[in-house]
Amino acid sequence: MDAFNGRIPAGIWGLSAVLLAAAVMLPFMLSPFQIRLAQQILLFGGMAVAWQMLGGFTNYWSFGHTAFFGLGAFAAGLLAQQLDPSLSVAVKLAIGTVFAIGLALVAALAIAIPVLNLRGIYFAIAMLAFAEILAEITKTFDAFHGTSGFPLPALLVPGLTKVQLFYFLFLLLFLTNIAVFVWLRRSRIGMGLTCIGQDEDTAAMLGIPTERYKLVAFVLSAVLTAIGGVLYGYSLGFISTGSVFRIDISLNLILYTMLGGIGTVAGPIIGAALMIVLTQVVLGNLLDLHMMLTGAVLIAMVILAPKGLMGLARKAWDRRRGAAEGRP
Amino acid sequence: MTILSIEGLTRQFKGLRAIQDLSFAVESKSITSIVGPNGAGKSTLFNMISGYLKPTAGHILFEGREITGKAPHLVCGMGIARAFQIAKPFPELSVEKNVLVAATFGRLGPRDRQATTEHAIEVCHLAEWRHQPASALSIGNLRRLELARAIAARPTLLLADEPCAGLNETETREVIDVLSTIRKSGVTVLLVEHDIKVVRRVSDRVIVIEAGRKIADGTASQVFSEQAVIDAYLGTAGA
Repeated sequence: MDAFNGRIPAGIWGLSAVLLAAAVMLPFMLSPFQIRLAQQILLFGGMAVAWQMLGGFTNYWSFGHTAFFGLGAFAAGLLAQQLDPSLSVAVKLAIGTVFAIGLALVAALAIAIPVLNLRGIYFAIAMLAFAEILAEITKTFDAFHGTSGFPLPALLVPGLTKVQLFYFLFLLLFLTNIAVFVWLRRSRIGMGLTCIGQDEDTAAMLGIPTERYKLVAFVLSAVLTAIGGVLYGYSLGFISTGSVFRIDISLNLILYTMLGGIGTVAGPIIGAALMIVLTQVVLGNLLDLHMMLTGAVLIAMVILAPKGLMGLARKAWDRRRGAAEGRP
Repeated sequence: MTILSIEGLTRQFKGLRAIQDLSFAVESKSITSIVGPNGAGKSTLFNMISGYLKPTAGHILFEGREITGKAPHLVCGMGIARAFQIAKPFPELSVEKNVLVAATFGRLGPRDRQATTEHAIEVCHLAEWRHQPASALSIGNLRRLELARAIAARPTLLLADEPCAGLNETETREVIDVLSTIRKSGVTVLLVEHDIKVVRRVSDRVIVIEAGRKIADGTASQVFSEQAVIDAYLGTAGA
């Protein structure tokens, strides 16, 4: 991981521009099923990028990020039901997004003090418990309609199909998450977070405001995940506790990040693309094997490539460069 | 001029008093050594000065300002840097990046951090290893990396916690040279060290503590001839 300043190479900018142009053209060339796959890669790959704003830098692994995802979806969905029916769906979505951001901000700040004082597995379990508590609240109190579920208004834009429209919304969020992550990584905060991940006490002794930096990363990660929840809720058109407060979402964010390479920009995206294509296309007719495959990949990665595919690529690159320079 | 004042400092760990009513002052631009047998409370004292531990009672004044109980990053920002007894580098970062972190977050912030990093690497003779990950360094190089990070934080007071522990003679000499260079640059050094030869060689003043209490204070030749110090190190005759 490199959280230290330096210019982004021109080649990276060029490659990003080509990929962005391809991403914009894709929904006009793919089938609806393929666009849905791409939607999932953008949404969950982007959310894995948001997850690692805390987990990737600092090793504070949240096992309960679905809390913010569900919070966003429920906040925007329930608010849409209360808003003036004459408002357009786009306006309702915009207001819902702002409301969800505010709520995620408050929730993240409220739990940050107790949970960010925990380390390692204790933090992971505390986040898991937080997600479960929110899920139970939405199921227990009728006002949330968590058990029965409730509809969200259908967002339509002339000239685009529903899958194309949400593809572009997910793409926008994906780009936002990457931009925030790259900014964070290249800032002093990113440098501090990287050091926290390696030795938090030493980081504090060297002048790094560890508590403040962890809080910034946690809040950013929570807010961006909540926005993902809002868009996901609107894309489904009907949500319940079971559809958004899903532990497999939290676990998948970790899996995608580990598979691709923790702390890198491309890692979680590559990880999400591989797993989503593998589970939905290659094993599309073997639904029962999805979770087993996910578990097997996770175990294999931990043993064989703890730094993910990006780590393997870097190792191969270093070896090749070493051979070219005549180093052993 | 006094740079650091310790006034009636006490630290209690449940039934154990690691530091008891300790008071002393450190003169600016000097090397003051804190010595004492294992368990005397030397590292606890450093932990309190650097903000890692809060004292049970007493005050710590740095450059006339109260720093008692302040968070470690604030203490560092005020100008106190620490080199640890057990080297604690960021293992995956290169030597250069380890030092750059200290230069970025130290007393003067990121201003001139690149030049500061270069200077610290040069003073500590680490240029050869600058691109190596810290996890690949020998113990001697790790000790010098600790000192390089401390220098890069641009402190006015350096807490050096047993910088020569576990080093051979050549490596010890190198560390002594680094400490002398640091002192010449106007930085005050508070040194904890077990190696009495090193203490005699570099210290302007020596404070001896035993069981958390100060038992001697003076020049090296004065304190090491005091009976209380001899007893503390060698045991009372006939005991």
